[in-house]
Formats: sequence, structure tokens, C-alpha cells
Amino acid sequence: MNTNLKISNVTKIYPGCVANDNVSLEFNSGKIYALLGENGAGKSTLVKILSGVIIPDEGKIYLNENDLKLNSPLDAKKNDIGMVFQHFNLFETLSVFENLIIDSDEERESLREKIDSIMRKYNFSIDLDIPVLSLSAGQKQKVEIIRCLIRNPKVLIMDEPTSVLTEQETSELFLSLKKFSEEGILIIYITHKLKEVMELCDEVAVMRRGKLVSVSEIKNENIESLANKMVGQNLKTIKKKKEKTSSDQLINIINLNFISEDPFETNLSDINFSVNRGECLGIAGISGNGQSELFQVLSGEIISDKNSIEFNKNYIGDLNPQERREYLMAFSPEDRLEQAAIPQMAIFENVALNNFKSSNFFNNGLINENKIKEHSKKIISDFNVNTDNIELKSQFLSGGNLQKLIIGRELITSPDLLICFNPTWGLDVGAINYIHETLIKINEQNKSIILISTDTDELLKLSDKISVIHKGKLSKIMNADEVTSEKLGILMGGGN
Amino acid sequence: MIIDINFIGLIIASIMASAVPLILASCGELITERSGVLNLGVEGMMIIGAISGFALMTVTGSLIIAVFGAMLAGVLISTIFAFLTQTLVTNHVATGLALTIFGIGISAMIGKNFVGIPGKEFPVLFEGLKDIIPLLGPILFGHSIVFYFAFALPFITSYFLKKTKIGLIVRAVGDSPESASNQGINVRLVRYACILYGGSMSGLAGAYLSMIYTPQWIENMTGGRGWIALALVVFSTWNPIKILIGAMIFGGLTIIQFHMQAIGVRIPVQFLTALPYIVTIVVLVVISRDSRKIRLSTPSSLGKSFHKDN
Repeated sequence: MNTNLKISNVTKIYPGCVANDNVSLEFNSGKIYALLGENGAGKSTLVKILSGVIIPDEGKIYLNENDLKLNSPLDAKKNDIGMVFQHFNLFETLSVFENLIIDSDEERESLREKIDSIMRKYNFSIDLDIPVLSLSAGQKQKVEIIRCLIRNPKVLIMDEPTSVLTEQETSELFLSLKKFSEEGILIIYITHKLKEVMELCDEVAVMRRGKLVSVSEIKNENIESLANKMVGQNLKTIKKKKEKTSSDQLINIINLNFISEDPFETNLSDINFSVNRGECLGIAGISGNGQSELFQVLSGEIISDKNSIEFNKNYIGDLNPQERREYLMAFSPEDRLEQAAIPQMAIFENVALNNFKSSNFFNNGLINENKIKEHSKKIISDFNVNTDNIELKSQFLSGGNLQKLIIGRELITSPDLLICFNPTWGLDVGAINYIHETLIKINEQNKSIILISTDTDELLKLSDKISVIHKGKLSKIMNADEVTSEKLGILMGGGN
Repeated sequence: MIIDINFIGLIIASIMASAVPLILASCGELITERSGVLNLGVEGMMIIGAISGFALMTVTGSLIIAVFGAMLAGVLISTIFAFLTQTLVTNHVATGLALTIFGIGISAMIGKNFVGIPGKEFPVLFEGLKDIIPLLGPILFGHSIVFYFAFALPFITSYFLKKTKIGLIVRAVGDSPESASNQGINVRLVRYACILYGGSMSGLAGAYLSMIYTPQWIENMTGGRGWIALALVVFSTWNPIKILIGAMIFGGLTIIQFHMQAIGVRIPVQFLTALPYIVTIVVLVVISRDSRKIRLSTPSSLGKSFHKDN
């Protein structure tokens, strides 16, 4: 049976921002639709309305001509709309099976059979009786998909599904989605990744600042045309000039090991690498393979053996992040709001947190507010942070602006080495471009970067050398221009 | 000194009796905490249960009304907590502490007229079987219905959490209220229910103290048992069976150290009094050190307020 989903004149207004401005769209089963837009364009709001999480101020949703009243997620489920959120809605400490049975009315036995048959049909293999927290991100997503499939949905909405997946997992996902679509499930795919839209979808709707900008068929579009619609201006493509870098070694990691007491962390074994001045070393890998531990060891959040890290001819393995900063290292952690900044504190206070001896932010234990504010203003203007209020709490900055602030805070001390972890995760194209340009500029000033990232394209674009981390071990270090994303994908999966 | 085998039986029975209020209150609080709510008002709810039970028994003369009235009193006072923390989204810790202070104060006020009044005898079951089997007789038989209920409760709680749909929902809410809400589970309703259930069990624990264990009203008669119950929940890593073990060790050492003091063992009294606390915590920490299991049974959202935004 054909499914027809219609969004009619939907408006949702938040204080200070129109998240959805009179959006009307129509979808038919048999096709895969892309909903494309930058962060904050309103696509998440729209799908949350479709899944009953948010109630629109105005407008209606029709499924096969029936007016749907979606007042709660339960209503969406009852009306055969399935949704896989970007942030998984799973219960980490419950087993996979418990996660699946919780909203099902079926008996244990029959549900188990049903799940088994779904897994067989789509070639999923997941142990149903282990807790969800021991699954990889890709497996967790499969659990979410199975949860939707159990209900035989007419509509399946995927919200930024590939942000946590590897190349292989992504292509597996695409195969599954195409299969679902052939079986008559209407698929709406939300993303800001243009490549994926071109590869997977049949039709694309572009949103910008809450408004629907265009609806068109993929065959009439290309990456540039979509990018320009999305951003609303012509984007320049940036490219790194791959020059011959110096052979002057800046940091040298020697037989670094880390054994964690937490069974959910990854142990690092025998990490060896070095980075020269002016060079960017990219570290690729599927998230959860030791990146976060490696970042913590490099930044000094985890202290290691003194001799395992040699920086600028000093052994600094046993120093904490503050002390490492004195040696001109800088850090941009993965989680902007949890690790890099304190959300409830003002911008200038967050800037002051990164204090080091020569900064003069504090005199005799007193805060030198003027100095800090002056410094913060400089960061905001130098690094294009889109606000002029340095008293603003940092939680109210968008991801892109916060990342610019953090990178700015780290760079204004002109460090010799910047270590960053997923610096553009979840950012929109404009912000990503800016961050990438900034990172390239650092290299041009003969400063070095260690870039830990799960985004292969980003790594290939910015790195001079690349290594892959898998289960806490680094692969051999390769020259970036000899590496393809396919090769990285194989290494990330543990192959050779 | 000849030790009568039945005397040992009686000591064990008295240890079990002293563990009853701890088991009841802990198992109730365990359900509350498993849903992600930290209610530090156990002591307050217990003492309210104690005075309510005793007062109703004295006034109405009915033990049934008194027992259920005490549970209802626990429910009522926990409703205040639920309203504050779930509807008005106040801080769990501060609200729980306030509840305890409130409970102790109001129970003392109500209890003024009941000081010195003797309690009633509470009927016991299987009295006749007590003397038939040596040792086991006094342990197994001749106890109140509340006693038997308390010893069944950890197993019922464990079964409820592991095997039933509602138990699963409670755990899910405690793990991630956001996800639960997105799955269409009414988080507030679940948490309200768990808080009220915890209140009823604390009320029953209090009633056991004032009506069965020491049938009389004394101001502040819970004497910190509510806090012990809270500690048991945490140190048992939210496992009902370990609560039973912990409560028995605590009850056992409390009784034994009394006997040791009575015999005149030459250990400082202060040390003996502290002994149950120390040993219980040490034992529970030792039997619960598997960090993977702790991670799996700890309610991740414990003590965190949840409010749905639209």
C-alpha cells in the first residue's frame, strides 16, 4: 500500500527564534527523501513534530489523508511513524532485549522470534542479552532501527544517522534503508552531509533558518548546488597546500601505555608516534576505540610515565594540563559543553579558566576582570564568534560559535601544538569551513596539530600524516596523500 | 554457662526482628531510587509511620486500621516530596532532608499525648509450632505478619524489577528519563508511583517499630534507622537480596554487641556501638565490588530532576 505523508503549514516559534516558518511538504512511499539543512535550520524541530516530541504552534500533519494529532511520541508510534534520533533513545544499562520489549505489547517469546526474523532478514547480528552500553554506536543504531521495525512502520525517520558511524557501517545502513524503501516504507533522511544525500536519496528538501528553501529531485542537483542552497551563499572550497614540512621534531610519544580500571574504557597499548613542526597528524578511528583515552593522555587529564611524552625536548608525561600549557601545548576536547567549557559560566569566565602564568588574569588571588574581558573581546573578534556580549553564558552559544571560542581561547596564546578531538562534530558547513581554515592557518605558521577525528573527509583534507586507532592500538603512520578513505575504512574496522 | 539451643534460636529471631524495619524501608527506597529519585526523607517518613500507627491503634483500637493508616501516612508525606520534586522540580537532596526534619518535628508534636501509653499486643502466626522444632522453631514461627512480609519483600522486589514489565519500566526511567519520555513512558507518573510506594514501605517500617518491635511511642524512636536503610540501598548497589544480607548483618551485630556489653566484654562501648555500622559497610562494599555490575545496577539518573520541555 502506498503511504502519503503531508506536512501542512507547520509553524513552531520559540522565544527569539522561528524554528519552523510555515513549512509544507509532501512525501510518498517508495522514495527516500532527504531533509537537508545546517544546524539550527529547523529540520530537527520538524522531525520532532513528526514524531510527537514537540507540538507545533500551527499546522497539520496528514498520513494517508488522515489528520494526525501527534501530542506525544506514543501517538506517533500508534500511527506507524518510527523515528531514530541522532542521540539514541536507549537505556544503556538494560539489555538489548529489555530495550526492545519495553514498549511492545507482545509476549517475550513471540517478540524474540520476531526480532530474530528481522535480524535475519536484514543481516543484523546483535546479541540480545548483553547490556546496550557494551554495543558499538553502529549496533546501537541497529537496535533503534529494530525497535521501529517491530511495529511495521509506514514511515521511518532517520535523524543524522551517520554522525557516529564508520564508512562501512554507513554503507551497510544505506543498503538497509534502500531495502526498507523497496518494501514500501517511506524514508525521511535528515542530514547536513551533502555526499550522503547524493548517494542515497531520491528527493531533497532544503531548509534554511526555519524556512523551506527548495524541493527538488536529486538528479537535478549536485553537491555545489545543494551546498549553496543550504548556506544561502557561495561557499569557497578550501584546500590545504601540501608543502614539504620540516623535519624538526616537536612531540615524540614513546611506548605510551594506559591501562584503565574502568571496564568501559579502552586500554592504550604501545603508542609510538612523533609530529614535526608545521605538521598535522590525523588520527582516524571509529569512536570508542581509544580516542578519548588518547586525548586525555596527551592533554594530561590522565597522567602517564614521565618519559613517554617528549615535547620540545622536555619529558612531560607526568604533567597535568595546566603545566603542559606552560610548555605551549593547547587542547580542544571533544565535548564542548562538558569538557571544554562550563555551560553556566559567562564567556569571559570560560576564557579565564584557561589561565596560565604569563596571562596575568589573576593578581594575588584576585580576578583581573578588565584584563580577562579585554582578552575575551579580542578572541571574539579575531575568531569570528558571532556575539558581542562576553557576559553571555556559554551554553547559549551555538555549537559552531562555542567551538570558535574554544579554539580561539587555545590559539591566542600561540601554542606550538594544538591537540583537538572531533573539532567540527555536529557543526554546520559554515562553521566547519571556518574551523578548517583556522587549522590550516596554524600549520602555515609552522605550528603543529594532532587531530583526532572520526570524520574521514576532514582528516584527509587537513592531515599531512594519518594513522588509525583501533582497539587502543595505532596503525603505522602513513602520508596523507597516499591514503584513501577506503583504506582508512578497512584499517578502522581492524583489517590490514 | 550452658547455652540452650533454643536460646540461640531466640537470638537469631531477635536479630531478624531488628532487621525488619531496615528491610522494609530499604526495599521501598530501592524502588524509589531505581526510578531515579533520591529521597533522603526515609527517616522522616518512618517516624511519621511510627506515630501514625501507634496513634491510630490507641484511638481506634484496630490493628488493621493502624497498620494501613501508617502506610497511608507514609504515602501522604511522600506525596509532598513527590509534588515538590516532580511537579515543582525542586532539588531531591534538599527536599528529602527537609522531609526528614519535618517528619521528626511533626511526629514529636502529635506524639506528645501518646507518651507513656502502653501498646497493644500484636498477633503472631504459627505460635504453636514454635516449640516443636528445636532451634528452627523460634526462628521460623511465632512472628507477626509484617515480619514474614519483610523477609519475602527482597525476593518480591527482585522478581518485580527483573521479570515484570512495570519493573522494567521503572529501571528504564531510572536509566534515562529522557529516552523513556521519548518512548512514550510517562516519567512523572512512574516516579510519583515509586516515591509513594517508597513512602508506604517507610510508613510500614515505622509502624513495625512502634506497634510490634517495641510497642510504645517514644519521641525520635526510629533512632537513625532511616539513614541506615538509605545507606543499605547504596552499599547494596541497588540489589534487594544484598539489602537483606546487609540488614541481617547490621541487625545481628546490633543485637550481639548488646549481649557483649551485657556480659561485660572488655571492649570500649563506643567501639561496640560503632561496630554494626562499620562491618555492614565493609561487607557490602566487599561483596559489591564488581564495577561492571555496579554500573549496570546503578540508576544513572539518580537524584537528577527531569522536566519535559516542549
